[in-house]
Amino acid sequence: MGYSWNWGIFLQPTATGDGTYLGWMFYGFKVTIALSLSAWFIALVLGAVVGILRTVPNKWLSGFATAYVEVFRNIPLLVQLFLWYFVMPELLPENLGNAFKQSNPIVQQFLSSMVCLALFTSARVAEQVRSGINSLPPGQKNAGLAMGFTLSQTYRYVLLPMAVRLIVPPLTSEFLNIFKNSAVCSTIGLLELAAQGRQLVDYTAQPYESFIAVTLAYLLINVVVMFGMRWVEEHVRVPGYIGGK
Amino acid sequence: MISMNKVSKHYGAFQVLTDCTTQVQKGEVIVVCGPSGSGKSTLIKCVNGLEPFQSGEIIVNGVSVGAPATNLSKLRSTVGMVFQNFELFPHMSIIDNLSIAQLKVLGRNQEQAREKGYKLLDRVGLREQAEKYPGQLSGGQQQRVAIARALAMDPICMLFDEPTSALDPEMVNEVLDVMTELAKEGMTMMCVTHEMGFAKRVASRVIFMDQGRIVEDDSKEAFFEHARSERAQQFLAKILHH
Repeated sequence: MGYSWNWGIFLQPTATGDGTYLGWMFYGFKVTIALSLSAWFIALVLGAVVGILRTVPNKWLSGFATAYVEVFRNIPLLVQLFLWYFVMPELLPENLGNAFKQSNPIVQQFLSSMVCLALFTSARVAEQVRSGINSLPPGQKNAGLAMGFTLSQTYRYVLLPMAVRLIVPPLTSEFLNIFKNSAVCSTIGLLELAAQGRQLVDYTAQPYESFIAVTLAYLLINVVVMFGMRWVEEHVRVPGYIGGK
Repeated sequence: MISMNKVSKHYGAFQVLTDCTTQVQKGEVIVVCGPSGSGKSTLIKCVNGLEPFQSGEIIVNGVSVGAPATNLSKLRSTVGMVFQNFELFPHMSIIDNLSIAQLKVLGRNQEQAREKGYKLLDRVGLREQAEKYPGQLSGGQQQRVAIARALAMDPICMLFDEPTSALDPEMVNEVLDVMTELAKEGMTMMCVTHEMGFAKRVASRVIFMDQGRIVEDDSKEAFFEHARSERAQQFLAKILHH
């Protein structure tokens, strides 16, 4: 088909003179990882809180949590990203908004992307947490309360340890999703892995090599995540319980 | 020890309990029986406040269960409860199941809690299962652990909610034996159960419920020999036939 393969491009110095094209790729790889991990961490914490709130016997708290989940789950990720990046700085108090707009553009892109991915994913994590808690036998909560635990102790010692174990597999797929979703952040100019791939095409005119490299990098991340989560799953298994040894 | 006065409860328009009144004295063993849906489980769950009720009053050891100011957690820590489905905590070893509330609710230290736990496991004949997990035990063993777990809190009385209903027939007796033993030691007990043999041997009184009302509340002799209501007579005829 007349395409001339050239895997050597990765080792060539870039047109802008800042290292090699492989260096660009590696930079994007690091941004993707830093962005996804920081957003994942926030998503886990927020998602756990919101998911728990959805199950508590207080209609204000659970109503708030439901609204949160529906808002962040039902607006397209791309739209959310634009809202955080373009609209949110205008809505902030003036001095805060100005400080944001005067900061390093990379910081602006990174922060907006992190908040966007974190909140979007937290809504999904919250749903997993809620379904984990609700899938426990209803008698477990009563058993905890009957022992004299307060409601929060019942969550802490009885419900959550089991719920968390049950939701490790669905959380794995959310964890994988956050790396894949992070590619959306290239649309506001953040030079993460996918953006670097596109940039490479522009500079080297070798699209196949560039995107094969990008693909392999995403695959590598997700294989590591999958094995990591499988390890977690095996180490929290409860003897004699479903799926246990 | 437990006193109920005109306790009523409804879910929406559905009346679950109607004017239930009874007393349980210290050391008494009360068997609560009746057809399914008669409100007996709901009644004993009202005793430790697991089920709220709309009117009437329940006093446990001088504390009003329904009063808004009552510290329900504190009250519940003094009332042992055993459930139909055992409800052991599956992610904890047996000994941890027995210790956790002692540590977190009663503030005992690890050593005291485990010592108490082992002693109670000995008592229900399961000392050698201490390090296993609930899922590795049979139903009968799990229920004996659940009884031991409740006893670990040194309760002033025990509530049993159909403790043998979820068990295979051959495991029923090992659980009833533990309960009989407990009754002999003078524990105040309220048991929802269909085990009429247990009632005949152990109960001080039998409460018969139907459609959310306490229909009979009498000594076991009076209940088994000449139940007054027609509904109870029918019930007994069906159950004792086997």
